[in-house]
Amino acid sequence: MKKAVALFLTLLLLLSASSFALAEDITLDVIICQYGPNTSDWFTGTGMDGTSFVKKFEEANPGIKLNLEVVSWNDVYTVVSTRISNSNPPDILNIDVFANYASEGLLMPVTDYCPEELYDDFFPAFMQNSVVDGVVYAVPDLASARALFYNVDMFEEVGIEVPQTWAELEDACQAILDFYGGDVYPFGMDMTTDEGQANFAYFAWGNNGGFVDADDNWAVNSDENVEAIEFVMGMVEKGYTNPNPATQTRYDLQDMFGAGKLAMVIAPNSVPTYLTDKGYTDINYATAGLPHNEGATGSSVGIMDRIMAFKDDSAPDQAARNEAIGKFLTFFYDPVNYVDWVSMEGFLPAVNSAVGALIEADPSFESWLDVLNTSKFYPSHKAEWDQVKLGVINVQQNALTGGDVKTLLDGLQAELTK
Amino acid sequence: MTRSPAAKRNLHALWLCAAALLVAVVLTFLPALEFSTVVFTKRSGNTFVGDERYLEARAEAEAAAAAFEGAAIHETVIERVNSKGETTSMVTFDVKESTRMTIWQLLASIGGFSLSSVHTAHAFALCVLLAVVLGALSLRGQLACEHRHLPRSTRVLRTCAAWLGLAAMLCVPLFGMSCNYNFTRQVSLYLTEHAELSGQAVPALERLLYSAAPAGELEALLDGMTMTTLWPLWALLPVLFVFLLGLILLCKGEIKPTLARGGLYAFVIVLCVVILYPFFVMLITAFRSNAETTDMYFLHILPTTWVWSNISDIVARGVPRFLLNSILLSTGATAIALVCGIPAAYAMARMQFRGKKSFLGFVIMSQMFAPVVLLVGITQLMNTLRLNDTILGLMFINAAFNQAFAIWLLRGTFVSISSEMEQAACIDGCNSVSALIRILLPMAAPGIVTTLIFVFINAWNEYTISTVLISTPTNKPITVGITQFSSFNMIEWQYLFASALLATIPVVILFMLIEKHLVSGLTSGGVKG
Amino acid sequence: MNSILVRHKWEPYLWILPSLLLMAVFVVFPIGIVFKIAFSEVSKSGVVGAFNGLANFRAAVNEPAFGTVMSNTFYWVVSVVGISTLLGFIAAMVLNQSFHGRKLARSILVFPWAAALVIQASIWNYIIKFEYGNLNNILLNLGILRDAVNWRTSYQIEFIWECGVGIFVTIPFVTFCVLSGLQSIDAAYYEAATVDGAGFWKKLSTITVPLVKPSLTVSTVLNIIYVFNSFPIIYTITKGAPANKTDTLVTYLYMLAFYDQKKGQATALSVIGFLILCAAAGLYMTITMRKEDEL
Repeated sequence: MKKAVALFLTLLLLLSASSFALAEDITLDVIICQYGPNTSDWFTGTGMDGTSFVKKFEEANPGIKLNLEVVSWNDVYTVVSTRISNSNPPDILNIDVFANYASEGLLMPVTDYCPEELYDDFFPAFMQNSVVDGVVYAVPDLASARALFYNVDMFEEVGIEVPQTWAELEDACQAILDFYGGDVYPFGMDMTTDEGQANFAYFAWGNNGGFVDADDNWAVNSDENVEAIEFVMGMVEKGYTNPNPATQTRYDLQDMFGAGKLAMVIAPNSVPTYLTDKGYTDINYATAGLPHNEGATGSSVGIMDRIMAFKDDSAPDQAARNEAIGKFLTFFYDPVNYVDWVSMEGFLPAVNSAVGALIEADPSFESWLDVLNTSKFYPSHKAEWDQVKLGVINVQQNALTGGDVKTLLDGLQAELTK
Repeated sequence: MTRSPAAKRNLHALWLCAAALLVAVVLTFLPALEFSTVVFTKRSGNTFVGDERYLEARAEAEAAAAAFEGAAIHETVIERVNSKGETTSMVTFDVKESTRMTIWQLLASIGGFSLSSVHTAHAFALCVLLAVVLGALSLRGQLACEHRHLPRSTRVLRTCAAWLGLAAMLCVPLFGMSCNYNFTRQVSLYLTEHAELSGQAVPALERLLYSAAPAGELEALLDGMTMTTLWPLWALLPVLFVFLLGLILLCKGEIKPTLARGGLYAFVIVLCVVILYPFFVMLITAFRSNAETTDMYFLHILPTTWVWSNISDIVARGVPRFLLNSILLSTGATAIALVCGIPAAYAMARMQFRGKKSFLGFVIMSQMFAPVVLLVGITQLMNTLRLNDTILGLMFINAAFNQAFAIWLLRGTFVSISSEMEQAACIDGCNSVSALIRILLPMAAPGIVTTLIFVFINAWNEYTISTVLISTPTNKPITVGITQFSSFNMIEWQYLFASALLATIPVVILFMLIEKHLVSGLTSGGVKG
Repeated sequence: MNSILVRHKWEPYLWILPSLLLMAVFVVFPIGIVFKIAFSEVSKSGVVGAFNGLANFRAAVNEPAFGTVMSNTFYWVVSVVGISTLLGFIAAMVLNQSFHGRKLARSILVFPWAAALVIQASIWNYIIKFEYGNLNNILLNLGILRDAVNWRTSYQIEFIWECGVGIFVTIPFVTFCVLSGLQSIDAAYYEAATVDGAGFWKKLSTITVPLVKPSLTVSTVLNIIYVFNSFPIIYTITKGAPANKTDTLVTYLYMLAFYDQKKGQATALSVIGFLILCAAAGLYMTITMRKEDEL
């Protein structure tokens, strides 16, 4: 008994001692989101030509240790939020939101740590989207552009044209529904907590509505938005969509599309990669612009995620820490690594220096970059963005179960302007 | 004329059998199956009656119908006014045929055709026939006899008849199912995959339905064919059940115990099937290819090719390491929980002291917060103790969260063991520590094993706290490790389930080995207030 | 009384000390933090601020989804605990009979217990998918269905599925608890009852149920706690969608804390949940354990 206790205590001491950081080296806590099946392997396993990002970085930058963790999107908000509550945020974080952190003074301005050369390399439009109160607080890590993917063979068989307006979209859906008698869903919609905000954006922006008004104030209950969401609900009601929009995620939609069960879906540019990886080879598809309401201007939808650095007042040497973060970014955006990273999961780059190599590898990137240049982005520079994101998802799901769209959006708006 | 009670009962049973049999025979002469066959479908979108597209489609449909004698063309026109006020229209041409058949017709018409539904029909007829013959044979001169005085040969005959009756009854649903399976799915799947075989199957199918169907049209024939089972087939089921009851009454003398026994086995089988089902799904999905995990045409139950490399893929992606961490974590947590829990349970079971009830209340209350809620507090604590991102920290957390369970179970076990031996030992000068270790613990072994398992499993299953607490990939337990297979871009079901398989097998084996201990451990007083 | 002599007054306390210490540090401390947060202002990214009284509780109760979530939680706990206790009891009665393959059947019954909840929830989520779920696959290939059936046409049905999975994973625990109770019943009772001419139901109500009750009480109390706090099933299958209509308290407050960034409200809710649990478990225990001389 005593022996066991003694042994146990020794073990405890040993293990706790080993968790103390080793002296002198700067250790950066990095959290990266899991984008695809290869993300973990690329960063920490052997996915980068037999080595990993972390190993390569530490070899190239002696004196800096990376404590890099790849977290799934399901858990990342939990992990980050818990660490912030414990005043122990990561040094570098890769996530989609940033304004709420910035508005509470948790983030460092990008200019504090980002080398000038790299700073100038980012697409200017992306950087403008990362400004809170005139200061850039995050840098984009990658982007994706959305387009309407449609099954060319089905459209030919049914004898319809690619819809450009909502009215045409409804007609096309009805025609597909009539033709295939329910074997094929005409249009895919994802209103899950994964990406319901994207669905809101596709239709709100397609009706000249949106999340904010011209003065950049929240305007989720605009008449245009109400009309857009009522249109969306009409589509679901008429049976033009997949049966469970509230629980069927984009993976499900992409699978249905690949298997020829879905005629149209709005999806990111990574879909071709997905379809090839998954083995859907005999599908003949093409892309088109998102349908919009008659009289409205259509716009494509771009989505970008970000990398940001948190303040850490307890760091002994702030300058050295900033430099280390800068080195991390420089190393990450080095075309040698960055091109590999972006093309691995079929995303679009955020820096100019990567464009050339990417287009060389896959010419279709160029057209996607054009789409991206004309895209609208979420108003993620506003501190309430994460609330709005969940709010619009909630509104859509509530409307699905019979709620009144106008009342729901008014409610959300009231909460935002409170 | 007076009859003995046994004779009376046997006669009743006989009447029951005869009546049931009569109804069954009548039923077999009613149509049991309907083949409705859409031999050809042509849909033409954006088509108006009389326009070019329409005529083209119409010609196509007529050409197809010409191949089938007596087949009619059904034309459906859907017209709609679209949002712009234009009229759109879609025309559908269906070439349809339907036939109804009795079981006898089916048996007679396709004697040489080898589909398992026909085998089932044969088996059904054979079983009924044999049951009747055997039952009749067993009746000779034995009608008035008590069943326990029956000669052995008669009993065997009657038992055989009853089993055959059961078999006949089970043939009915099998028949219905295999009809659907063969005709609507299996045949078409099979023939699409083996085009070279259609030459042999066609003549048989022709005889079955369309004596004039030309060879080579098999696929078109099968594509639209649906089979419906009609009510007379299903009515056979209860009728045969009555027949079976009559037979049982004949051979056993009474029905209740047999039925109870049958019900018991039926319940156990259903229970086991339901329980094993998700594990079966896990097993087969673990070896499917990525594309087949989301197969939307439901081609096969089993993987078309067993992708064994899924296992090596997940091994390469760190799953063994996660498993090792989980084992380490669960073992450590169990050890800590027992080391702390046994003394406490001992005190609760053997000693009287103030605050005992409050302690028990405290123990239960400690369970009432979901770990999810406590995340913030736990991480803060771990930072203070420098146990962040260590398996050791997780061990303590899990041990603490399982204290209530451990103490409760162990206390129950200790209470159920008489303290006489310990009291004697104490008089001999042995202190309570050695009394516990030398005397009580060996006797309480089953209860301790049970506790151990409970704590081990709970620690093995813990997910939320580990997610937040562990950031180094090599420290992740399996529950957290497998989240890497559902990423932003794709859920890799096959890897998810392959890892789940690897994670489940050790625990299942462990459980099966100690299942006996488990029950006896609980029995020895484990879970008793 | 089955107790031994204690030499010093403080000796029992020494015995419970390790356990007390373990729980005090690793459970009570985090609970303390929860209470502190519940009464404090919490910023959206999670920075804990000043004391703000009952504001978090008020905000939590005023959330539109609160009512739905509470009634869902009620249905969830009552149906899962109730039905799994009933089915577990029946299964235990059956497995207590002697028949061929009893050992195998018992081993199989342990399966749902042995696989992690996250994993089982994923499997069931996969099984009931409409487009490629395994249930449709099996039923179609066996010829039982002709067309794929959407097993989750509405959120009510999805919630029923979730309860079903909850019941599925809870049954083994109940069964084994009851089984242990059944095995400790002396067969002589039944023989005596048979001699007295008692039928099955009579024996069940006068012998089996009273004697199994203690085991059942414990398993039920623990089940209420575990089921109330159960998280992975609902989180994996629907994530509470649509609009919290399939959320229970725990999944709701998780989403509230980590997605909606309303940590103050979430912790306030967890305190409310804690109080409800205390009340429910306490009530249940006083009712069922009243007559027993416990401790």
